[in-house]
Amino acid sequence: MSIEGDAAPPVTAYTQVTDLSSDAHACLTFGDPGDLLDLTAAFVRDGLASGFRVVVLSDSPQLAAAKLGWREIAAESAVAAGQMVMVASQDGLVGPQGFSAGQAMSWLRDQLADSRRHGYAGMRVALDMSWALRPMTGIEELPVLEEEIAAAVSAGMSVLCGYDRERFDPVTLALIAPFHSHAVAAATYYDDPVLRICRQYVPPGVRLAGEMDFLASEALALALGEAIRIDGDITINMASLSFIDASSIRMITDAAASLDPSRTMVLRCPPAIEARFSQLGAVRLRQVRLVGVDEG
Amino acid sequence: MKGNDRRPDPASPGDGAVLADAEAGSADREARPALDQAFDSGTLYALRAAVQAHAIQAGLPESRSDDLVIAVHELAANAVRHGAGAGRLRMWERDGALYCQVDDSGSPASGGDAGPVRPDGNVADRWPFLQGHGLWLVRLVADQISVFSGPDGTCATVVFSCGQDPSGSAPDLKRRP
Repeated sequence: MSIEGDAAPPVTAYTQVTDLSSDAHACLTFGDPGDLLDLTAAFVRDGLASGFRVVVLSDSPQLAAAKLGWREIAAESAVAAGQMVMVASQDGLVGPQGFSAGQAMSWLRDQLADSRRHGYAGMRVALDMSWALRPMTGIEELPVLEEEIAAAVSAGMSVLCGYDRERFDPVTLALIAPFHSHAVAAATYYDDPVLRICRQYVPPGVRLAGEMDFLASEALALALGEAIRIDGDITINMASLSFIDASSIRMITDAAASLDPSRTMVLRCPPAIEARFSQLGAVRLRQVRLVGVDEG
Repeated sequence: MKGNDRRPDPASPGDGAVLADAEAGSADREARPALDQAFDSGTLYALRAAVQAHAIQAGLPESRSDDLVIAVHELAANAVRHGAGAGRLRMWERDGALYCQVDDSGSPASGGDAGPVRPDGNVADRWPFLQGHGLWLVRLVADQISVFSGPDGTCATVVFSCGQDPSGSAPDLKRRP
């Protein structure tokens, strides 16, 4: 479409999590834990839909399953059916004596072998790397692990490594980044210390965190515009929003009103925000469904 | 202690032009604003944070302090977007109620385009008071509201009772229709 054609440089070097290939070794960097969950959810959802075995490693598998649950990932039933494996970090990449790249790779290879034995065409592994922030012996081998994963992914296995860019030091991130085939991050429309507006992948829509007012209306308009162009229902996740002004509420409800009546805009909000939407008449729109939440 | 403008100002609080019914009694003259803060588009966030902190300190329940914050924000946002582009908030407590006055008079951009002045000198109806949902929301959440517009700008005051009953006794402003 562009007049310049292929001369135009890409806006960002990031790959959409939904575009990852089946042999990707992707580095997901995030500043907000919500991003990790959301992008992991998209990675898991697409893996399950493709009929792959999906392995999710995190510090708390129970909590992760619950949080994937509200993102419309039926983690418990997928685990019961054997298609999904939820593992605690200390039962996977980290051993009782600390960390070693060899031992971690051996666990990963076992997972792949098990997945093949059960007839899965491929395997997707989502690794929450926050375990590597804890002091432990052998952690200097982290880049070795990433290098070995890079060599292993061609064998029908894709891996998403989640690194908190606020908590990992830049040197570590610079060391491990080159071993990844893709960089993944949430599509962000606005990001400053007060407000963050980003795409939500699962369920699709927009996520607002912080304090939303008219000063960021252009970014909100862009985010809503992209969200309503996709098919089906959309969710505006405001669980981590502590303030929203009337003009932003108006913009969201106008976007909802523009939807075909067969579509729904789900507004997930804490009680105080929910009350504002009610006060401004959002509930009268048949496209709007207000859902109260107590946590992000 | 703070970067706020805390210069004594004889016109506030209890400005007779604004609080038409709250003519300056002797008690009023002794009142000092708990908060006196200039704002523009770049400092609305700080304004909200300051208002929230003072509202909680004054004993407003959390849901009401949220209401107070949105009311002040919407008034300030109107000054920023449709008025002088900047203004000043003064907040004080009196007779069990919190008063918040948002004023963009005297700011450089105010004045010029005041429109038809009604016989009582009030051009409030020209201020974007009927536009949008912001000021409608202010009217909804505040116990009382008063707006006065003149050639120099607009001054709006909202009152929130600190008592249990939001429709309760205290404030001495008439609710405008």
